[in-house]
Amino acid sequence: MSNEATHGHPEVVTTHEAHHDEHHVHHHKETFITKYVFSQDHKMIARQFLITGMAWAIIGGLMSVLFRLQLGYPDQSFPFLEDILGRWAKDGKITAESYYALVTMHGTVLVFFVLTGGLSGTFANFLIPLQIGARDMASPFLNMLSYWFFFIASVIMFSSLFVQTGPFSGGWTAYPPLSALGEASPGSKVGMDLWITSMALFVVSSLLGGLNYIATILNMRTKGMSMTRMPLTIWALFFTAVLGVLSFPVLLSGFILLLFDRHAGTSFYLDSIYIGSAALPNEGGSAILYQHLFWFLGHPEVYIIILPAMGIVSEVMSVNARKPIFGYMAMVGSLFAIAILAFLVWAHHMFVTGMNPFLGSVFVLLTLLIAIPSAIKVFNWLTTIWRGNIRFTPGMMFSLGFVSLFISGGLTGIFLGNSALDIALHDTYFVIAHFHIVMGVAGFFGMFAGIYHWFPKMFGRFLNNTMAYIHFWVTLIGSYLIFWPMHYEGLAGMPRRYLDYTNWLSFNQFDGLNKFISTVAMVVFAVQLMFIFNFFYSIFKGRRVTVKNPWGSSTLEWTTPIVAGHGNWPGEIPEVHRWAYDYSKDGREYISQTEPVTPDEKPH
Amino acid sequence: MENSHGHVSHGQTADSHDSGHGFDTKAIWRTFWILLVITCIELIVGMFIAPRFPHTTKVWFNILYIIFTGAKAFYIIAEFMHLRHEIKNMIMTIAIPALLFIWFIGAFLWDGDSFKNLRNTLDPHHKEATQKPVAPAPAHGTEEHLK
Amino acid sequence: MANAVSANQKWWSGGRSPFNVEYGKLMMWYFLMSDAFTFGAFLISYGSIRFATNAWPDPNHVFSSFPFMGHTHLPLVFVSLMTFILIMSSVTMVLAVGAGHMKDRKGVIKWMLWTILGGIAFLSCQAWEWTHLYHQGAWWGSNPFLNYDNTQSTTNFTNFFFTITGFHGFHVFSGVVINIIMLIMAINGTFDRRGHYLMIEKAGLYWHFVDLVWVFVFTCFYLF
Repeated sequence: MSNEATHGHPEVVTTHEAHHDEHHVHHHKETFITKYVFSQDHKMIARQFLITGMAWAIIGGLMSVLFRLQLGYPDQSFPFLEDILGRWAKDGKITAESYYALVTMHGTVLVFFVLTGGLSGTFANFLIPLQIGARDMASPFLNMLSYWFFFIASVIMFSSLFVQTGPFSGGWTAYPPLSALGEASPGSKVGMDLWITSMALFVVSSLLGGLNYIATILNMRTKGMSMTRMPLTIWALFFTAVLGVLSFPVLLSGFILLLFDRHAGTSFYLDSIYIGSAALPNEGGSAILYQHLFWFLGHPEVYIIILPAMGIVSEVMSVNARKPIFGYMAMVGSLFAIAILAFLVWAHHMFVTGMNPFLGSVFVLLTLLIAIPSAIKVFNWLTTIWRGNIRFTPGMMFSLGFVSLFISGGLTGIFLGNSALDIALHDTYFVIAHFHIVMGVAGFFGMFAGIYHWFPKMFGRFLNNTMAYIHFWVTLIGSYLIFWPMHYEGLAGMPRRYLDYTNWLSFNQFDGLNKFISTVAMVVFAVQLMFIFNFFYSIFKGRRVTVKNPWGSSTLEWTTPIVAGHGNWPGEIPEVHRWAYDYSKDGREYISQTEPVTPDEKPH
Repeated sequence: MENSHGHVSHGQTADSHDSGHGFDTKAIWRTFWILLVITCIELIVGMFIAPRFPHTTKVWFNILYIIFTGAKAFYIIAEFMHLRHEIKNMIMTIAIPALLFIWFIGAFLWDGDSFKNLRNTLDPHHKEATQKPVAPAPAHGTEEHLK
Repeated sequence: MANAVSANQKWWSGGRSPFNVEYGKLMMWYFLMSDAFTFGAFLISYGSIRFATNAWPDPNHVFSSFPFMGHTHLPLVFVSLMTFILIMSSVTMVLAVGAGHMKDRKGVIKWMLWTILGGIAFLSCQAWEWTHLYHQGAWWGSNPFLNYDNTQSTTNFTNFFFTITGFHGFHVFSGVVINIIMLIMAINGTFDRRGHYLMIEKAGLYWHFVDLVWVFVFTCFYLF
């Protein structure tokens, strides 16, 4: 037995050596293609993910502006819409088909391509090797493939916008029969095939990335970087990767069955369906099965979005409050608890599908348990800033905004997690308000906090602060103005996914409110364009970073040169002697992780 | 570069060990015989014993099969895939996520069963249609069913 | 195990793998974990649909033929043979990995050849079984078999059977391809130049996983 346990050793040596040889070769012949396009440098791949994600965010955001225009001004026509959308907005009014296509694509794009690919793709790639002290990912090649699979998935999804019958339009959850039968709607034809293909490639990309992140975090940490010395960003990204690796395959299985239903005459999800007056031959399937498979991914997916944001916020907040994060182990424990619970609660999205109510009650219990780790996290953030020496940098502002949004959006989650309340609230604007605040906007705030905080590390320049503060305040206030009123609309029973409410007298009272929401949405979108401008302007013209560690942060990424090459540290990788949160200790503002512990100080 | 320093000494001790002893071939063959015997028992139960009992007792045989399957899976993972000999923490990183299957299976089967009962209760036509025998002879892939 | 890392020792001193395995093997393990969820989702969907259906065909009636035996009634025998072939090829795979540990190139080549042969034999058996069922009228979307109580069966019996065994067969096929690549690399002496046969070990993990999945497929489709 003894000899068997050790057989890992000799290879470990060789692999690492081989790995470093590769780096050297790489350094010598760096062309434009290997540096900017097919780069294997994790920092470049992170930037590729970020910029692709930003492109998608503009597209997805623009879609929401277009359908908000319809929802706010259902009686008016906008001739310019016909210029953009052509026959999808005949006479300047969005058609029903294009409205559904827009909301479907808005959801798909923002959930998967922006807040999954763009958020954890960017920060996992950028931060993991830098913060744990590694030269690169465990497998830089697979890492590169991960981006390019994401890119191909993006191209296919984007191309589906331009097919004759339009992109898929049955909602981002792609429930059958709308997604299984080509006859169901124009978008269910080739648009749906492109949608599935794109999503399958996206799953491959996320698996390649996730496996790499896990292996890197477990195996490649520098000397002294024990698991409990890692910054919380790394813990969060670790659990995010675990969630992705275990839940995306289930979605893939669901999609494979869906493809068979579409093209091989099977009836996994189909039963007793009539088109016109003719019955389809499909018997014996269950549409609820698809929903189970989808939400088995779908619920972990929302944590895949929010966990990286939580990690980023914890780190940025501690740095800028100049205080150690409060309750480090409780933070790690609650991340772990959230990761486990993520797999146990999926059917709370399905309370009104006809699912067994007794089964539903178990899901209610498990769902409400999530409140515990979430509350632990929120209170720990609040106690972290309590009596802190807070520096209101843009990153810190967005972190504070994140906590505010996470509380407001999280509390309505407790409403919706109760199946009895959910019967009334399901598929109303209340749900829209809930998940946009807690997952959408909060996820974006985490992402913005990360971008503002690590932009100096990514590009060697700062973002413009004035624009950053405008960006923050307008986005925060605007988001609340958009989504807060939706709670009232939802409580009044206003259902989602309707093109036009004018003939529905009970909701006529909301005409003014809808106009208001649409107006604010456009203002907020415009401010995001300003952020995009700030981003690209600052890459080239921003204020230069002149010191290695501009935020006075104790983590490892700030010990690299201002513009680090492939391999991150020019010499030896620094050794780590303490945890990541020694702020305001022994009368010093911060102590870098690389500083040895002095005898009179308590080691962590 | 940094990373490799720690390995060298470890690597050498491991090397000398590896060349000394081989793989535990005996354990592999023992595992093989265990798997073979379990498969044979399954074959005998499925072929000769289970058909002699009425269909209502099928569930007990299924439980038996699940136990056999679990045993086979254990031996494949532990011995063939060598997991039993890895470090405990690594075993945990595999075993804990695997526990998620309990609720995954439980909830899906529960809801499937509930869907059946719901339909049988609320859709008498469906119940009648699915419980009406269509042919007197047992099904054995006859030619008329060809596409 | 004792002289590698003792359980009580604080096992992280930095700069090496905490699990005593190199990253590739770790990635393979976690990939297999995620693949287990893919197969798990398929089999659980099958279970869910079966629980939602009033009756199901009896596998002893459906899978009762054996090649070159005419119209015999030999339920389970053929599929047990397939199981035996796959388990056997798993054993030869372990022996190849063991030979790799001793840097015994000849041994690796010999056992890899047997493993590949086992994989091809399994795929051939599956091809025969599929062809046989196809000629009986079974395919995706068409099910000639009746339920055990002679009621009309839905097509989901064959739908799931072909999808899941097909997906498993696809894994076996990719396993065979991977093993052939490993064999060629071993013959060319690539692993000797590297000084280790770790790739064989990773291919081995994948191969055993394919075997593991078959154990579950066997139970779910042929026994239940």
